[in-house]
Amino acid sequence: MSKSNQEVMGDGVMGVGENTRIFPDVEACIDCGGCVVACKRTWDVPRDEQRISISTMLEGQEGEGGLNASSGRAMEQGTSPGETSIPMQCYHCDNAPCVSVCPTDSLVSMEDGFVNVRDSLCIGCQYCLSACPFGAPQFPDSDEGVADIVGSGGTMDKCTMCDERQEVGKGPACAEECSTDAILVGDATQIADELERRDSGVFFNDVAMEIIFGDDAEAF
Amino acid sequence: MTNLDHGKFTRMTTTFHSLLALDVFALFFTGYAIMFNDHLWWLLVLMGGNVGVVALHRIAGLGLVALVTFWVVMMLITDTGRSNFRKVVPTGDDIAAFVQDVKFMLGRADERHPNARQFAGYDSDEVPLLSYVGKGVVFIFAIELTLLVISGLLIWSKTGLMQYFATKTAAMAFVVFHGLLGIIMLMGVMFHIFEHGFHPAFYPLETKAFIPRRMIPESHDDEDVEGTGIERLSLAPSWNLVANLMGVLVTVGIVSVMTASIVDEGYPVPRELAVEGGVIELLLTIGINIGIFVLFVGLVLSLYGNVIRRRWERQLQEQRERPTAGDGEVASAED
Ligand code: SF4
Ligand code: SF4
Repeated sequence: MSKSNQEVMGDGVMGVGENTRIFPDVEACIDCGGCVVACKRTWDVPRDEQRISISTMLEGQEGEGGLNASSGRAMEQGTSPGETSIPMQCYHCDNAPCVSVCPTDSLVSMEDGFVNVRDSLCIGCQYCLSACPFGAPQFPDSDEGVADIVGSGGTMDKCTMCDERQEVGKGPACAEECSTDAILVGDATQIADELERRDSGVFFNDVAMEIIFGDDAEAF
Repeated sequence: MTNLDHGKFTRMTTTFHSLLALDVFALFFTGYAIMFNDHLWWLLVLMGGNVGVVALHRIAGLGLVALVTFWVVMMLITDTGRSNFRKVVPTGDDIAAFVQDVKFMLGRADERHPNARQFAGYDSDEVPLLSYVGKGVVFIFAIELTLLVISGLLIWSKTGLMQYFATKTAAMAFVVFHGLLGIIMLMGVMFHIFEHGFHPAFYPLETKAFIPRRMIPESHDDEDVEGTGIERLSLAPSWNLVANLMGVLVTVGIVSVMTASIVDEGYPVPRELAVEGGVIELLLTIGINIGIFVLFVGLVLSLYGNVIRRRWERQLQEQRERPTAGDGEVASAED
């Protein structure tokens, strides 16, 4: 990274451990798939599952009013952002709807703020899939055995935010790998400040921000 | 023989009642094992663990759809079905009976309205096929089951749900609705079990939902008795203890299930509205298990009803073969 660039963009990973949040800077994402590969390689995620995936919207379209490279700003102004790539994963929401709705308490908000799945409790009802605004819950075993016959989802799987890596001071694999630092990791203020410094807008609406960050959504 | 053979159902109704009970119990045992999985961990294991339980619940759900469809068709195409339906439709008298019952409880009415009559103590022609309470039970259960089936099917098919309701909020509303309605229905079923299992005149089971009407004589030509027949019954020695005990268990079960659905963080009451569990968690675990025990008693009684039917059939058979000898024994089939 050249010196002039460094002044504009800080590292994606700004902090790890307790109360760490993960959030995309969609204006930096170039849809290279590096995060997807890093995640799969780190956790041996099977071929037909992705704990993180890049959703590209308005493919091939231009943003309105010169906001082509400023999707976040365009969204904030209510105009079309043009082609935008969004790294979608579990954002470990503060007000996690999936935790609220899981009938077996298989999804839990941990002390450190991460949302975990307790595999042994999950019954594959997929309520979390209905509840999650970001499409994070994955059901890799949904077409196996009994699950296939009765149409249940098998066991839910999703991004763990690399909690095991964070325990030893490393950032999530996807964020560490991202060549454009499009995945921001840190506390809410760090993320808000970094977006501000990059002059990147927030791509999600207020409702989504409230779900992800809770009271800290005010920082944005 | 007493004069208790009022409110008779056809063979189809009694068979349907037994099948419906079996299916609904299967749905309840699996559904509550899911909802109260931390209190009913043993039931979850018995029901096939966290994967099997959903499978069983869904299979039983399909069974319910089949039964309900069959029932609706029968109601529409048969004469008996249509006339039964007419007898179940609530009337002004039913509302009057409800009002009078409230007055009766408050000591402002001398007796209960004829439409409130359900049990012994009246001539059989004074007692309607279904009291207003009975009609209420039929209607409430029918509506609850229909809504549970619809919401259940929608939840099952995620894409269907999204397609019809387009928003996450609507989809989640159905998920929560399914859970809350299940709890309400559980309370109703516990009450139903108590009401028809522990009445002093019928204890341990009111047989009218099990013995089809064509197996019950239309008249009592054996003797000419004054009175309604209730005076010829003697109270079972264990009734007092058992009825009180079951009363307590039903109450504890209902209260615990209600409380747990509020205290339990998450489903079906959103996290923000849930009260913290903590110390009472243990009491709730006991209470919910008591609730499941009440359901189990219901299941056993329902099976017992069919045992009684078999015995009754056998005695009728013997009676037909030896016309005079069986008379006395038929009455004891009520025990
Ligand atoms: S709602 Fe979705 S993004 Fe939020 S914590 Fe749950 S799975 Fe993750
Ligand atoms: S699929 Fe599993 S994790 Fe998701 S709501 Fe159902 S039980 Fe909970």
